[in-house]
Amino acid sequence: MPARHFILLLVSLLLLLLSTPAFAQMNLEGEWAGRYHEDQTDRIPGDVQGDFTGVPLNDAARRYAESFDVTRVNLLEHQCQPYNLPHIYRGPLQFRIWDEKDPGTQQIIAYRQYLGTYQQWRTIWMDGRPHPPEYAPHTFMGFSTGEWNGDILTVTTTHIKKEFYRRSGIPSSDLTTVVEHYIRHGNLLSHVIIATDPVYLTEPYVNSQEFVLMERGNQNWLYNCEYAMEVPKPKNQVPHFLPGKNPFMRDFANKFGLPFEAVWAGAEATYPEYLAKLEAGSISTPSNRPDNTAPRPQPPAPPTSDEIKTFHVQGNVYMLVGAGANVAVQIGDEGVLVVDTGAKPMRDKVLAAVRQLSSKPIRWIINTDADADHTGANETLSQAGMTVNGNPAAIVAHQKVLARMSDESRPSPEWPLNTFFEDSRDFYFNGEAIFLYYIPHAHADGDVIVYFRGSDVVVAGDIFLTTTYPIIDAKHGGGVDGVVTGLNKILDITVPKYLQEGGTYVIPGHGRVSDEADVLEYRDMVVIIRDRIQDMVKRGLTLDQVKAAKPGLDYDGRYGNSTSFIEAIYADLAKH
Amino acid sequence: MPISLSTRIRFVFFVLLVANLPVQAQGQRGAQSPKSIAPLDITGYWVSVVSEDWRLRMMTPRKGDYESIPLNQEGTRVANTWDLAKDNQEGLQCKAFGVGGILRQPGRLHIEWQDEKTLKIDFDAGTQTRLLNFDKSQQAAGEKTWQGFSIAEWEGPAVGRGAPPRGNPRPTDAGGGGQGLRGGPAPPNSVMQGGSLKVVTTRFREGYLRKNGVPYSENASITEYFHRLPQHPNGDNWLLVVTIIEDPKYLSQPFYTSTQFKLEPNGSKFNPTPCKTAPPPPGK
Repeated sequence: MPARHFILLLVSLLLLLLSTPAFAQMNLEGEWAGRYHEDQTDRIPGDVQGDFTGVPLNDAARRYAESFDVTRVNLLEHQCQPYNLPHIYRGPLQFRIWDEKDPGTQQIIAYRQYLGTYQQWRTIWMDGRPHPPEYAPHTFMGFSTGEWNGDILTVTTTHIKKEFYRRSGIPSSDLTTVVEHYIRHGNLLSHVIIATDPVYLTEPYVNSQEFVLMERGNQNWLYNCEYAMEVPKPKNQVPHFLPGKNPFMRDFANKFGLPFEAVWAGAEATYPEYLAKLEAGSISTPSNRPDNTAPRPQPPAPPTSDEIKTFHVQGNVYMLVGAGANVAVQIGDEGVLVVDTGAKPMRDKVLAAVRQLSSKPIRWIINTDADADHTGANETLSQAGMTVNGNPAAIVAHQKVLARMSDESRPSPEWPLNTFFEDSRDFYFNGEAIFLYYIPHAHADGDVIVYFRGSDVVVAGDIFLTTTYPIIDAKHGGGVDGVVTGLNKILDITVPKYLQEGGTYVIPGHGRVSDEADVLEYRDMVVIIRDRIQDMVKRGLTLDQVKAAKPGLDYDGRYGNSTSFIEAIYADLAKH
Repeated sequence: MPISLSTRIRFVFFVLLVANLPVQAQGQRGAQSPKSIAPLDITGYWVSVVSEDWRLRMMTPRKGDYESIPLNQEGTRVANTWDLAKDNQEGLQCKAFGVGGILRQPGRLHIEWQDEKTLKIDFDAGTQTRLLNFDKSQQAAGEKTWQGFSIAEWEGPAVGRGAPPRGNPRPTDAGGGGQGLRGGPAPPNSVMQGGSLKVVTTRFREGYLRKNGVPYSENASITEYFHRLPQHPNGDNWLLVVTIIEDPKYLSQPFYTSTQFKLEPNGSKFNPTPCKTAPPPPGK
């Protein structure tokens, strides 16, 4: 052997020996079946309503749970809704884990999971990628990243859809963040879930459960759900109980002889000090329990920077975020179509963002309503565009939008001159049919929902928002029933790809990209609050009394201050 | 310049020897005390957060309510004979506070090193104490007790060989191992996570898995794994104890629970109380 080869060999040997030893991560691969030696009745049969024990719920969660009528799952859109991440491991479950390795380095890129319950798929990214932006869609399993801490795999998940912590109606919000820990000992896998929910929990909710490695893979792994109308109901009805009217609230407490206030107590009852209170019978009642209805952290606001962010929704459709209202952009061979144009101060940046997507001419602009945050850049985009006749890009809207903008003396180049007055309009552009549906007396009186049939994307305008309660502009013809009608229209259009997830996507007037399940929760919320106020109006309560009753208590943490919403509904209903 | 074969072989052996020194040094850590090589720090005051089995742990369930426990026929029969008044008369108040049930009692733990080879756990519920012996040569002696005789051992990534927690870098104290590199700085026990403490307990008295007389026998096999979880983003520190109880006398299959405790800043809330079981609610 020549000397230089020998030295090369020697150096290689040294490098090999001195390099960091590959960390032998615990192997989690396999098929795991649940053991239900804790909370069994809640997790498996789940037959008793009213089990709120052990959950650090706040007053918003109490109100939500108190209102929850389990027959809500009969509604078509709810029937196939799966459990979300912090809930699914608590139910009957077997799941499979495997890893995906980089073929070149053999480093783990991701762990994949298939959960037999509801046939859910998860990916836990191990490659250090960031979580998606806040305006990205949420899913029932969320977006997960993981890292090893010794023998513990720690997973952080965001972008989770709203669902429940318990079947008794304790809600988990879509602002929940979940940290999981996976720990293996032989054929036993321990799984810890710590859920942090600024909307419905006073402190993190921790659970742990065990799974045993399955040696025979002959379990049932499939879940089929096909929704069917079982109990016909008008579309604007959502089963729920008015506050104080739920007849099943105390079933669990009564069955097991527990003091109801302890069942209902939240975090306080999960600490040992509570034993003394139980023995002494000095349990707080709702009237003497410390108020935890102080303003909760607000839902994510749109980006406050003056940068426009672009998000590909699907097909030909993109969403521009940060311009005021969301802007939808459809691109294709025939040119560019823009739905809403954002606020005037952002006009140049909106135009630049559109130009980043396509250099073809802007042919069409559609306004979903007349508000300045939706129409402020009409002139800029229209002037920058061109119809096939060489005119500025055509602006399309319902005629009431034109009437209002002209009434408000907005500059005429901002006006939509291609107006319509019928219930709907359609045309074909960039290889797909586009539908405009007029929704009267909703956010205002010129609202239009736009549906891109080929891309399968709905642009909802301000009928659907993920950041706030509906803004009902009564002065310009808005009304709560119109909002409900509009939301139901969106539900009619949307078709989930699988189990209430994906499929048709919805761009809200403000907030994140959504799908049917998100619109459904919002519709339910509007109907429930409307019904509560309707009941109070019927009972002759004044507006101040209605506000004092906090009809939005269970949603204020998610959608912010409900005063304007309550006032608008009250004024609307009091008229009839 | 030619190098002779024997010289090459000697040189390779020398290189191997030098490169392997840190590994051997680490191997010698076995001679160090269990306390000094602890891969995780579970000492401190911990409070149980009863977010699971609330009604079975915070309250005394009624007789015959043995939800979740895989009792066999004999276990069911015995559970149905539970008589709280009789237990109290016979001085058996601590049957629900023995090794098989104590961790499920709402309460606080105080874990500290009694000496270099023994961890001590004080429970304020029932004023119980367990000693976790790392010295496997020790033999249990004397009568069986509620807490039995526990042998402990560290498990998981060896000190200095595991990947460091990302985003939670280990301080660079002097010593061997750490950062996943041979010969690097040693991790202080206070921040290491990821390993576990395995505890096997024998020579205990028959007791209750639940307050309402669901039994485990004195010949049951009780294995526990103590984990300190990576620090939560809000700063909380959690201890997870996984318990596996195998008891052919009363159970049809292994009984698994995992119980979580949150670290407290001090012992100001540690409040020892005697073994006492509240009567179950009336009704059936």
